[in-house]
Amino acid sequence: MKKKRLFLILILLVVIGGFMVYNYMYQDHRDIQSETSQLEITAPYLLERFKTDDGASLLNKTITVTGTITSIEEGAVTLNESVYASFHEEIPELRANIKVAIKGRCIGYDELFEIVKLDQCTLIK
Amino acid sequence: MKTIIVLLIFCFAFAVTAIGQEKFATKTGEINFEASVPSFEEVKAENNNVSAVLETGTGNFAALALMKGFRFKVALMEEHFNENYIESSKYPKATFKGKIQDFDYFELSGEKEYVINGTFNLHGTDKTMEVPAVISKEGEDVWVTAQFVLKPEEFNIKIPSIVSKKIADEVNVSAVFKLQKQ
Repeated sequence: MKKKRLFLILILLVVIGGFMVYNYMYQDHRDIQSETSQLEITAPYLLERFKTDDGASLLNKTITVTGTITSIEEGAVTLNESVYASFHEEIPELRANIKVAIKGRCIGYDELFEIVKLDQCTLIK
Repeated sequence: MKTIIVLLIFCFAFAVTAIGQEKFATKTGEINFEASVPSFEEVKAENNNVSAVLETGTGNFAALALMKGFRFKVALMEEHFNENYIESSKYPKATFKGKIQDFDYFELSGEKEYVINGTFNLHGTDKTMEVPAVISKEGEDVWVTAQFVLKPEEFNIKIPSIVSKKIADEVNVSAVFKLQKQ
């Protein structure tokens, strides 16, 4: 009887342990959309920060960028010719010259286009 | 009459060089890489926000991928890639700068194989390589596609022995750029 109980407890531990390992291995991706942004900044100023080497602390952070749409690409927009924001899943209908606020993850500075890139963006307004 | 002809030739030559110097570029290029080992979890990532620029006059080609832009299916793998292997906070980008051999924009039509001589910079390490690429023209767009192999050790990327069995020594990379006239 005692042995049986011990065996059951052992099985339970293995199941719980396995479950925890599985959860750790296959944890969910960050959900940028539901994260609160750590900084609100205008597009030209964000670019300025990266150009003056003051942007490293923003890498991988969720931030909100405000600016005017200067061009529209496939699934992405460019604000004030200084920030490129690629949208997460839904691509909102937008047109050039309107003012927007976009939340996304800052992935770094692109020297080729002299632009800061954001991914997994959502339109705030 | 003669001066007019000379002038016309000059104008034409100027126009041709002006066209020849055009820039084609994209911000939405795609790079995939895979370092899977059979019977282990697939090691594969994709970046859809790669920038690339081609100068048709000179055949110069440059591409830039932000390392944090690579997305994996498994979040933990993405975290390990960024923090332990590629160290994307220290080395946020990978670049390639090169020149396409025997490139002539006016000869572009169907798919044609070229070789791009250039330098990769990844994980803060430079490596010169010859990359085979297929270049074609479709309407106003120029397509550049390439498949090649990179080895982590050549870029000073250390993979701990515990996981080295699960990650291939050779990483297969494929890139697709749809370059639009600027």
